[in-house]
Amino acid sequence: MEATREIYWNVGHGWTTLVPMYLLTIAAIGVLAYGGMQRVKVYRLGKPIDRTDDLWQRIADAAATVLGQAKVIRVRWPGLAHGAFFWSFFVLFIGTSLIVLQADFSDLLFDIKFLKGTFYKLFSISLDLAGLLALVGMGALFVRRYLVNSAALDSNWNDAFMHGLLFLILLTGFVIEGARMAVTELGTPLSYWSPVGLVFAKAMSGMEATGLQQLHVFTWWFHLLLVMVFIVSIPFTKFRHIATIALNMVFADRGPIGKLQTIELENEEAESFGAVQLTDLSWKDIFDTDACIKCRRCQDRCPAYATDKPLSPMKVVSDLGGVAFSPTPDANLIETVGRDALWSCTTCRACQDICPAGVEHVGKIVEMRRNLVLMEGEFPGDEVMTAMEATEVNGNPLGMGYASRGDWADNLGIKTLDEDAEVDILYFVGCYASFDKRNIAVARSFVALCQAAGIKVGILGKEEKCCGEPMRKMGNEYLYQSQAMENIETIKAYGVKKIVTTCPHCFNTLEKDYRDLGLTAEVVPYVVFLEQLIASGRLQLKSEGFSCTYHDSCYLGRHNGIYQPPRTLIAKAGGQITEMGRNRDQAFCCSAGGGRILAEEKLGSRINIKRVQMATEAKADVLVSNCPFCLTMFEDGVKGAGVEESLRPRDIAEILVERVVQPSARG
Amino acid sequence: MNILVCIKQVPDMESKFKVNGEGNWYDSAGLAWRMNEYDEYAVEQAVQLKEQAGGDLTVLCIGPERVKETMKKALAMGCDRGVHVADDDSYKKDPFSIASIIAEHAKTKSYDVIFTGLQSQDRGSAQVGVLTAESLGIPSVTTIVGFEFANGTITVKRELEGGVKAVVKLPVPALVTCQLGLNTPRYPTLPNIMKAKKKELITVAVADLLKESALEETQALYFPEKKGGGLVLEGDIGEMADKLIKILKEKTAVLA
Repeated sequence: MEATREIYWNVGHGWTTLVPMYLLTIAAIGVLAYGGMQRVKVYRLGKPIDRTDDLWQRIADAAATVLGQAKVIRVRWPGLAHGAFFWSFFVLFIGTSLIVLQADFSDLLFDIKFLKGTFYKLFSISLDLAGLLALVGMGALFVRRYLVNSAALDSNWNDAFMHGLLFLILLTGFVIEGARMAVTELGTPLSYWSPVGLVFAKAMSGMEATGLQQLHVFTWWFHLLLVMVFIVSIPFTKFRHIATIALNMVFADRGPIGKLQTIELENEEAESFGAVQLTDLSWKDIFDTDACIKCRRCQDRCPAYATDKPLSPMKVVSDLGGVAFSPTPDANLIETVGRDALWSCTTCRACQDICPAGVEHVGKIVEMRRNLVLMEGEFPGDEVMTAMEATEVNGNPLGMGYASRGDWADNLGIKTLDEDAEVDILYFVGCYASFDKRNIAVARSFVALCQAAGIKVGILGKEEKCCGEPMRKMGNEYLYQSQAMENIETIKAYGVKKIVTTCPHCFNTLEKDYRDLGLTAEVVPYVVFLEQLIASGRLQLKSEGFSCTYHDSCYLGRHNGIYQPPRTLIAKAGGQITEMGRNRDQAFCCSAGGGRILAEEKLGSRINIKRVQMATEAKADVLVSNCPFCLTMFEDGVKGAGVEESLRPRDIAEILVERVVQPSARG
Repeated sequence: MNILVCIKQVPDMESKFKVNGEGNWYDSAGLAWRMNEYDEYAVEQAVQLKEQAGGDLTVLCIGPERVKETMKKALAMGCDRGVHVADDDSYKKDPFSIASIIAEHAKTKSYDVIFTGLQSQDRGSAQVGVLTAESLGIPSVTTIVGFEFANGTITVKRELEGGVKAVVKLPVPALVTCQLGLNTPRYPTLPNIMKAKKKELITVAVADLLKESALEETQALYFPEKKGGGLVLEGDIGEMADKLIKILKEKTAVLA
């Protein structure tokens, strides 16, 4: 006899089964649709934003991310437990669909049965093992949530309900299978294709056939009912993440990474800027709040949260969700989230990068900051307002006279484009490397490296303005745009083709944000530029050994994925890197991003000291970084941590320039 | 309530200064310009008064075309209209001439309160406010660090030497000169910056308002001569303290 089983065995396939079953299913799907529509109404309160361009590619990418659980398994063990559950539940879903397809369509209408023979055996064992794997995965998640690490997660009735319901669905599934097998399959070779069902069947084999049949039919309806409860509960519980996260992957921001929305400032009809009401956010921002499953991965990585500041990216999202789904969603968002939370963000992107739900935290925070600055004239402190005013007057937040911006390059043999615009690269220096003594050393090192490679460098000198990044991240879009427009006009007037930066904030801003305002020149960060010069042989270094640890700045790292070039440069220079525990995409911010370079850090403990302590644990002599803000913070941090004798913060350019082989000395 | 606030555009004090060709003022090339710090307090207080009592607030500034940029900030902070007294040679004018120009403008406008900064950051005469009040024949108070207005009466706090404060009441019309500590000037909001671009900003030729002759003239401007360096005491703390006391006794009167 060909291997198969009777679908609807013992339950019957007549109207008495099909009518109530399908009525229940239709009702459940109806409730699901109703609940979903209620939530869609809330999403639609948000402003329009185009997240459906290139839709098929979006769907393909989202499918790959979701089916592969790519973002979930970035945190390995809990991620794999979720993955195990997800993949096995997915197999069970396909299996159930095949049953429906055969029993209620192909067999019913055309007498076609495909669940038979070898295919049936594979079908049977796949579903059987998937059920087991689902229980194992769920068990692991249960142990983590409730037994081992209960303090690390926010648990409420949602989680208990989900665990309970899924466990019962799987358990009743095996009871149904076991009862059927005890009557029809026990002792046949086919039973070995359902090993878990076989265990249940053997356990029940002592029962009478009639008792087994009663148990079977009762459990069958109970199982069906549980599945209906599951469907109904999706829009009303955290089960909704099945839909919202999958869709959020489709609606993902497709980059460039970390580029903010450019506000149309001259828009005469705009009465309000930034976000203070729910309706100021985009629908995607509201949708994000419904995708969040409170896994805390963002909070666990937030440098502000880690130093006892009143910011948790997760809480920001859930606060906004709380407003969105309240009966009257007109609460003041800024009051709800709290000013101190908003100002504490360093826009390091650790939250957004790790989020398995595709939530975009940083843009929301900046939108609320924009409202505070542009509509209320509010800043986190007077020192920030002073820096803004200094930038308006002198084009730099340090308050230095603009005319002396190029003085750092005296006697270096480089000219401003005003003097000579025929150059290989425009070095966009940035404020810190122009005015801050410690960072001038970096600028001079970079120029020396270029000169050793025969690159003709030009600068803008007093014509260069702050790129506007700290102002923009603080919410001052107006000041950012005025700085940016002046820079772009100047750069365009000189016909610049290629710009190199030593500041990752300048790089990210020129390369991404300035595009909206018309900059077309190529922009390259110095680590990439120098790596190219070495690869082409134009720049030669001699290797002199040293031990160091390397700090990935947020704006070269997470914002631009530049992890390897700086490490290659350090290796070429003879550096032995001992990585900190938090490196690459997990790197811990220096504290100065998001415009925080302009602000005093008054709340909680110091982020830079915490990062320096991480570097100290790596037991290296030198803390190498690639960003003027990081360098400034670490110079301060080694003093704060009391390790200025043993740990020396340095920029990559300073290390390389000590090892440069001058063209005259080359063999 | 009809209010006037007088502001001056000054160079950013971080700029590199050079003496001009005539040798009587600084060279204006390569400087970044901003609103005189004390005038920012004046503008803020004037805007607060207008917000409290209603009325119309005029900002007045004397100088070349570029001062309009600074006036726009005052308009963005909340002034209603601007009067630009066009004068490319304003830097040569003595405080009395400047005060006369303001008074000439103000005498037909019946301002209830006139705000000025305590002094300018560049010339620092601290005379323009009081001379203007004298020319108009209205009372004035200088160096205010507190301001209240109720029932036609102004109550101000003045800063005196050694941190002592005096409370002065005076009826309107009156003029006050504003000192650091009076308030925190607001940061203009974007809608107000946009509105400021459309506010009335009229330009008047200085010749139409200058009816008086100067009483003084700046003869020369120069950097201080470099004197001998400071004295660094080194060694044991006790010895250094003894040395310091000796120097203070011999060279100064602080211990007398």
